Parts: sequence; C-alpha cells; structure tokens
Amino acid sequence: MAKIIVVTSGKGGVGKTTSTAAIGAGLAMRGKKTVVIDFDVGLRNLDMIMGCERRVVFDFINVIQGDAKLKQALITDRRLENLAVLPTSQTRDKDALTQEGVGKVLDELRKDFDYIICDSPAGIERGAHLAMYYADEAVVVTNPEVSSVRDSDRVLGLLASKTRRAEKGDGGVPAHLLLSRYDPARVARGEMMKMEDILEILSIPLLGIIPESPAVLKASNLGTPVTFDTKSNAGRAYEDAVSRLIGEQVEMKMQALEKPGLFSRLLRRTA
Amino acid sequence: MQVRSLNPEVDGSPVSVADRPLQVRGRSFTAVVLKLNGAADAGFYGALESLMRQAPHFFVNAPLVIDLAEAPGLTEKADFVKLVRDMRARRLSVIGVQNGTADQDIAAFGAGLVCLQGGRDAQVPRGGQPSKAEDAAEETRGPKARAPEPAQPEPEAASATIVVTEPVRSGQRIFADRGDLIVMAPVSSGAELIAHGNIHVYGPLRGRALAGVNGDKTARIFVQSLEAELVAIAGLYQTSDDLDPSVRRGRVQAFLRDDTLCFEPLK
Ligand SMILES: Nc1ncnc2c1ncn2[C@@H]1O[C@H](COP(=O)(O)OP(=O)(O)OP(=O)(O)O)[C@@H](O)[C@H]1O
Ligand SMILES: [Mg+2]
Repeated sequence: MAKIIVVTSGKGGVGKTTSTAAIGAGLAMRGKKTVVIDFDVGLRNLDMIMGCERRVVFDFINVIQGDAKLKQALITDRRLENLAVLPTSQTRDKDALTQEGVGKVLDELRKDFDYIICDSPAGIERGAHLAMYYADEAVVVTNPEVSSVRDSDRVLGLLASKTRRAEKGDGGVPAHLLLSRYDPARVARGEMMKMEDILEILSIPLLGIIPESPAVLKASNLGTPVTFDTKSNAGRAYEDAVSRLIGEQVEMKMQALEKPGLFSRLLRRTA
Repeated sequence: MQVRSLNPEVDGSPVSVADRPLQVRGRSFTAVVLKLNGAADAGFYGALESLMRQAPHFFVNAPLVIDLAEAPGLTEKADFVKLVRDMRARRLSVIGVQNGTADQDIAAFGAGLVCLQGGRDAQVPRGGQPSKAEDAAEETRGPKARAPEPAQPEPEAASATIVVTEPVRSGQRIFADRGDLIVMAPVSSGAELIAHGNIHVYGPLRGRALAGVNGDKTARIFVQSLEAELVAIAGLYQTSDDLDPSVRRGRVQAFLRDDTLCFEPLK
C-alpha cells in the first residue's frame, strides 16, 4: 500500500526541499519505488536539487489540467531507476492546483509507487494545504530557532484539523519531527534552541537530526540528493532518518558530534 | 452540562417569599457528564481513576451525571445503587442519569437519582475547532426565566465542559462556550483557550487563557506550568511581562480577589 508523506514546515528555507530529495533518494536506495512531487508551484526547486531540471517537458500542473499524461510528466532518476520526480510549473501559480486534481494524480501514483513524497511550499496557504491534505504521514522540518518551532507548531495544528484524515475522523496526519540545520556549537553557545526544548514544545516523535553541513550546499549545486554523499554527516543523518521512517530502530546519534574534529574543537574553543 | 433547577424566578427577581417556610430559587450548576460505554466494570473504573489522577481538581465536588446512551446493560435498581456506592467510594457524587430508556429511568429513580432530560453530548473537539461560539454566547448570557416543566427539552442545558486531550497548537483556539475547559496536553504559545467557566491545563500553558469571559469573576485558571503569554479572568488580564517570576513555570492557580488578578502556587 502506497504511503503519501508530506514534507512541510510553515516557515520558509528550513530545508523541506533538501529533505524531500534526501528522503526520496534514501527510500529508493533501499529498493522502495518512490516519487517526489514538487508542490511549490511557481518556484520549482525540487527538480534542480534532483538534478533533472533540464529534462522537464511536462509538469504536475499540465497533468492536473489534462494537458499531459502522468507518465509523460514523470522523470525517472538517472542514478536510481525506482526514483521518479514529478516537477512543477514555474510559470503558473498555486491557484492552478485543485484539490480534486491533486487527489486524482495521487491516486494514480499510488498504483505504481511505494512512497509518494510531497515537497510543500512554505506558508500555510493553498499550496501548503494541498500538499498536506491527502497525506498519510508528515515530516515536519524544523530549525532550532523560535520562529521555526512556532511555525511547525502551527502546521501540526493544521495537520490535525485541515486534512482528509482529520475530516474522516482518523485523528489527523501523524507527524515526525526532522530537526534540520542543527549546529551543536551554536546550541551550546545558547544561540539556538536545544533539541530537548523543541521536542518538549512540539511533542511529536523525532525522526532525525540533520546537522548544519556544507555537504548540503555542495550536493544541491551538483544536483544530487545529499543522501548519495554517504561520507557526509548530513547524508548519514538522512539515511538514519529514512531507516526510522520505514520502521527500523536506529539509535539517535548526533551526527555532527560524532566527528571529533571540527565540532569538538569549536566546542572547546567556546567553552 | 448545565443543570438547572426548576425555576419560579421571573426576570431574575425572586417571588416574594418573606413569610414562607421555604424559599425556592433557580440556580445554575455545572455538572460533569460521564458517558458509560457498556458496563460499570473494572475497565470503566480503571479509566476513570486514571482520568482523576490526571485531572484531580476537576472532580472535586462536581455533581456527576451518568449518560446511559451506550449502557443498555444497566436496567435494575440494584445496578444503580451499586454504581452510586462505587462512585461514592471514589468520592464522586452521582446526582442523576441522562439518555436512559424508560426502564432505566425508573430503576435510576428507584436508586434515588434524578432523570435529567434534554441533555446533549459535550463537544470534545480533537482538532480544536471553535464550536458555535457565537450563538452559545448569546444563549448563556444572563439568567432566563424557565418554565417549571421538566419534560420540556432544554437546549441551554447542554453539556458544558470541553475536554481536550491533544496538544493545542499555535493558531488554534478552543472555546468552551458553556462552561469549563480542560486541556490534558501542552498549550503552545500562539494558541488561545477561552471559557465561560474555569480553565484547567494539565501541561504547560504557553499560550493565552481567558476564563470567565462572560464576566464570571469566580472563574479560575489552574495550570501545571505557567508560561502563558496572557492570563485573563472576567476581562482582567496580565501578560507574560507582568507575571511575577516566582510563579512562572510553577503549578499555579489564578483567580480574582477584589478585582485583582492573583496567582497562587498549588501545593
Ligand atoms: N543541513 C543543512 N546544512 C546546511 N545548509 C542547509 C541544510 N539544509 C538546507 N540547507 C540550505 O538551506 C537553504 C534552504 O533549503 P531548502 O530549499 O531545502 O529549504 P525549503 O524549506 O525547501 O525552502 P522553501 O521554503 O523556500 O521551499 C538551501 O540553501 C540549502 O542548501
Ligand atoms: Mg522548498
């Protein structure tokens, strides 16, 4: 049974698209048939991070409006055959998304894929609403700062009340917390919120902690999901998160702290 | 729910009763409705006790009404006598039943209980949707004359207490439009709790809580950890900036004394 997972946050720029690409790639690396969908109509970031922006012919909006078949719009990843991207339109806006149209596309994708990962736009308006509406689960991406936590909390309220599962009385969409851009040195200096405090406020299970890492920018410039960079701490953190997402028990490591070099030096210097 | 006694009061002014041996007055009380699903067995008492542990203040001196809609098994007077006794053993006072069949009502009456008419199920929102707040605000505004007619359905006598078990998130607003609001989860900053009656939060209160919004100066707010952005009773408020550091993050009750908002730690 296919699972629809929305990657959402409320706040912009916290790492939703990065996480969608990384989780999608991680699932595909484990043999799961996975498609990632860009709901950020008008901006189109996901295909860039997935490295397929030059292969886009038709997009999600074309499919919704009946101008193209789903098969024509899906782009299969060159590295992993069971990974596909459904890009979005850069010339349209979010009004082109309709609840019915989104539902139809998702139903069709359910037949062919194990995981459908929806990259939500920032905010809580139409695009974000439709990205979460049909979800079976949510990954809420949060940075260790007050405004991001507040927005995540807001989004959790919407997942619990404004989704199909909520309307059916299934208690809303169950959510996992993905703590991203976590910088232990800055947390130690009190410049960022502690993981414990964030968990206490949001009170949802923790899927993973992705450290702040230069590997993310490098990967996105190359058009590869950071999960492929198995040597980077961010790549490994995403791998662990994917394991937890599919139900494996993986010990929660602070990936950045594992590396004695840079981070402990930083920590010592500031102590 | 609201339990109203038969009320000979008209326009809030009692009938002259100076030289009579008794005086009859109408008065509203808030009762707790417990819906019995099936038998009053160990499972029921177990669940009740765990609820009492989580919300101890809530049950203190609260008149209880048993909803029989899902408890067709209770048919004998002895069943109700036992129920009342078992509840008393937990310091809970059952005053009546609702939604029973005719036979259940007779049996309950035999056991000394009142058969309340016209009660509606309490709204227990999961996602924190405010519910029909506006009409209700109108309805509950002041004392109204009621005909002494027990068989007549009383729309205002609907359940009042709202119990929320899920976290109340930023941007959500929960309105207990007829009575108390009990939240058994954290209340995030940016969330808002509003009640005509008391507010209990068994978790950190980081948002706003406004009790007695109908002007009830006796309303109180009980919190497990006071980290609120704003606390108000009957319109008198304090923001987090005004909060005395000694009560911050503590188990606290808030109440009005001489029109001053007071905070006191709970033992
Ligand atoms: N773990 C990380 N370490 C360092 N940089 C990161 C990390 N995660 C994301 N970034 C950077 O943060 C920026 C925003 O990331 P991304 O585009 O994934 O966020 P988003 O939530 O999708 O943004 P939007 O709300 O605009 O869609 C990018 O420049 C990305 O490279
Ligand atoms: Mg994005």
